[in-house]
Amino acid sequence: MVDIVPLSSYPSYIDLLPSIQTCNITNLPENYFLKYYLYHALTWPQLSFVAVVRPKGGYSSKGAKAGDVSGHYPKVAGYVLAKMEEEPTDGMQHGHITSLSVMRTHRRLGIAERLMRMSQRAMAESHRANYVSLHVRVSNVAALHLYRDTLRFEVEKVESKYYADGEDAYAMRLNLESMWMDWKAIEARDRENAKDEDADEGEPVGELGKKDAAEDDKMVRVKVGRGLGVGDLVEKNESQQS
Amino acid sequence: MPQQLSPKDHALFRQVVRNFELKQYKKGIKTADQVLKKNPNHGDTEAMKALIMSHLGQSEEAFALAKEALRHDMKSHITWHVYGLLYRQEKNYEEAIKAYRFALRIEPDSGPIQRDLALLQMQMRDYQGYIQSRSAMLQARPNFRQNWTALAIAHHLSGDLEEAEKILTTFEDTLKGTPPVADMEHSEATLYKNTIIAESGDLARALEHLEKVGYRCTDVLAVMEMKADYLLRLDRKEEAAEAYTALLERNPENSVYYNGLILAKGIAESDHNALKALYDEWGDDFKQAVDAYLQRMLKKGVPSLFANIKSLYDDPAKRDTVQALVEGYVSGKAAQANGSSDSENEFLASSYYFLAQHYNYRLSRDLAKATEYADKAIALFPKSVEYQLTKARIWKHYGNPAKAAEEMEKARLLDEKDRYINSKAAKYQLRNNENDKALDLMSKFTRNETVGGAMGDLHEMQCVWYLTEDAEAYLRQKKLGLALKRIHGVYNIFDTWQEDQFDFHGFSLRKGMIRAYVDMVRWEDRLREHPFYARIATSAIKAYLLLHDEPDLVHGPITSGANGTEITDDAERKKALKKAKKEQQRLEKIEADKREARKAAAANAKSTVDGEVKKEDQDPLGNTLVQTKEPLKDVMKFLTPLLELTPKNIEAQTLGFEVYLRRGKHALALKCLSAAHAIDPSNPTLHVQLLQFRKALDSLAEPLAPQVAEVVNPEFEKLLPKSQDLTQWNESYLSANKDSASHVQAALTVRQLLDKESKAQCEKDLVASLDALKISFDDAVSGLDLLGEWGSDKTAFAEKASKKWPEASAFQLN
Repeated sequence: MVDIVPLSSYPSYIDLLPSIQTCNITNLPENYFLKYYLYHALTWPQLSFVAVVRPKGGYSSKGAKAGDVSGHYPKVAGYVLAKMEEEPTDGMQHGHITSLSVMRTHRRLGIAERLMRMSQRAMAESHRANYVSLHVRVSNVAALHLYRDTLRFEVEKVESKYYADGEDAYAMRLNLESMWMDWKAIEARDRENAKDEDADEGEPVGELGKKDAAEDDKMVRVKVGRGLGVGDLVEKNESQQS
Repeated sequence: MPQQLSPKDHALFRQVVRNFELKQYKKGIKTADQVLKKNPNHGDTEAMKALIMSHLGQSEEAFALAKEALRHDMKSHITWHVYGLLYRQEKNYEEAIKAYRFALRIEPDSGPIQRDLALLQMQMRDYQGYIQSRSAMLQARPNFRQNWTALAIAHHLSGDLEEAEKILTTFEDTLKGTPPVADMEHSEATLYKNTIIAESGDLARALEHLEKVGYRCTDVLAVMEMKADYLLRLDRKEEAAEAYTALLERNPENSVYYNGLILAKGIAESDHNALKALYDEWGDDFKQAVDAYLQRMLKKGVPSLFANIKSLYDDPAKRDTVQALVEGYVSGKAAQANGSSDSENEFLASSYYFLAQHYNYRLSRDLAKATEYADKAIALFPKSVEYQLTKARIWKHYGNPAKAAEEMEKARLLDEKDRYINSKAAKYQLRNNENDKALDLMSKFTRNETVGGAMGDLHEMQCVWYLTEDAEAYLRQKKLGLALKRIHGVYNIFDTWQEDQFDFHGFSLRKGMIRAYVDMVRWEDRLREHPFYARIATSAIKAYLLLHDEPDLVHGPITSGANGTEITDDAERKKALKKAKKEQQRLEKIEADKREARKAAAANAKSTVDGEVKKEDQDPLGNTLVQTKEPLKDVMKFLTPLLELTPKNIEAQTLGFEVYLRRGKHALALKCLSAAHAIDPSNPTLHVQLLQFRKALDSLAEPLAPQVAEVVNPEFEKLLPKSQDLTQWNESYLSANKDSASHVQAALTVRQLLDKESKAQCEKDLVASLDALKISFDDAVSGLDLLGEWGSDKTAFAEKASKKWPEASAFQLN
């Protein structure tokens, strides 16, 4: 039996990363350094999910938390590694599936679908993603069936020679707005709470909450594929001498 | 005195700094040289040039120049800062921290230096230093939230939860009004604060806080999980049950939530009816619906059906029910299969396939039946990768790696574009000790652009599973150089993974995903607890022990004599050694030729991008590693983390004993024995080691130091009292464990150590142990190896074993 668990929630399953990497390199030709997985887990911790083979006799909780399975290292049967597009060309907040795979021994059990649905929901809830996009090999019939027929993705276009071996990709997307949270209701509740606490209404937004723009632009944009990782996360001007 | 620059040169110097920042390294060097031409002793320029050189991979030259720079200008924060950065690149963090501190003393208000120092302190887990640095940074720029959060993290990780919470609250109090929902940094910071409250143990307050802030946190799942956990631990069972029910509605496929619900409902594990009712509610009642489920899935031809069902087999009744059902399907359908519809053929083939897996599975194994069903499935659908793959697995369980690899290769050829089956085929080649063939298969999916070809690519892509299997295959062949080469390759990957966290110390503060960051830091602290590490460390220790015990293996494997016996004859030994050396020279020649060919090819190709030079591995065969003079010292870097992070791993403890005993560290050796004893007092390896330790104490060249003896003697007395009659001790161990082959092997080993004359009897008893109730194929192979260690003839044992395992290759001596 397979459990679908979040990569990084409460408690954290981050110790599965080496096993996720192994699952990827066993199944797919597109591989990444562990650091790239870390980069996903630490930038969009809500979006990635793992399918693990439930250990015999279940998990015995080692930590203080009720569901703490750290240190169990169950076998990873599949994963979805997801992100938010950092500089969307169309200006629309949207999620992107970086990589998804399920071990051949566990295919056709609906695992990929569950992984995708969990990730999609998190994209909508946490990041208010307008849509989620992904690429799929034009020859990958099973994946195409999942995305188009089961999950209702639409083919946006064909990207010629997208893969390193020269194969074309379908660029697909699915609208997620129906799963958005009602932020207006939340903010109404905020106002209620503020009224209860203090009649004196404060500024709507604290300036201090905003990030420092000067500090923000130091991140180098990360490339897709194997070229990214170590060097690309390093700040450009780490030893500014001025 | 440092040289003063003219205004023009000073402008050039600033240009160098900019060049570096923009990664214009070659330009930067040129500009620096321009300055240095007129001001050859200008320390700051030399330092900047050194920094750029180090980014071009010229680390040795860079270091020399940085030292020069420092000599020319000891009072510059730039020269010290660069010196620290170079040390950091070499991963010499202690020296880097020292250099940063000097730089900071000269320029106390420098943000960049302070930050570089802080990052390293975090990396080194110098929490007190980190608290100091982060306090200073907060003071310098109190209007940035991340500076507050960072100081809170520093206190949190150092164990001062109260102070951590206080700092977060202080910042919150400065906020005018509530930030918008979209402000994820705020959302995360409040949840982070909540986890700190929970960690302090005050769950009631944590829950209260969560109720107050949770509704506006966009990580909905995390809030739900936290709430359920707090309620359960606060014993507010009804609410906890509700919370876990909500989680199951969101994701019914997470058994952790079921466990939570079971606890919340206070259902005893033995209360099957209540459990069943609970699972029924979620449509997960397998047993009742197993017939319908099996038929439905078999009709759909779901290949992973068995993988999903086998977890039921712990219950023998369920196992038998499944077996009877599927056997029933095939006997009913088989009669009418020929010429019938495609869908019926598919159902039949799926059922055959299911049964092949069923009879191949550990808990329901009958390999002859498994083969029969696999063949039937293949006959119906010869192109199925899965069916063919199962055939290979059956041969693996037969103990015939050559045949298994052959069958897996057939499976691979059925779908050459699928990497999974390619990976399996390579793995099976390695299990058959075919390292070169395996690499050849792997190269079909690697880029093969790196300097080291496919092997270089597998290292770069951190393909731990392959390197580990490769190492184990070389170790089995006693090719210790190559085995150590791969082992160190994996070791270095773990180092890289530890190193990987460095950039996130700054990155995560900017991103604001603090909980994930803190989880990552804690995970990194126990990184080598992962089974991948235990496995490679185990191989490492075995390899170094072997190298210590048989130093001749430095020249490569020594072929054994006829009938698998060890070579005892001196002349014969010399001959074998000569042969091994010759083989080693042959391999070196091949590698040298390859290197030459690559060099020639590289000379023809254009120079690499941006002047970055990838270094060629000077020792692809692992000669430097295997030629070590101190294998028992080299092994420690593998053993220490293993014992520290996985102390409950009994093999780690017994291997630790072997290392420490050979090093004459009696107290540490005994510590391993005691730990192993606490895990499993009747462990076979431990049994032998107890006697070895007794004998070691009895035959010390010089007595133990008094303070060591004071610890060792009373502690060992608890495990094996001095007054104990050893023969009696061993024979009673034997009779208590006579049904288990591995225990019998241990007792026979001990018997021989006590009485050399017993050898003939031991050999006979060892052959008899093949009839033991509890004997696995692996046990039988260990028995055969044991005869080798005794210098005994293996024929009788092998003959008898090959009757029991006729398909296995291990017992075919010739």
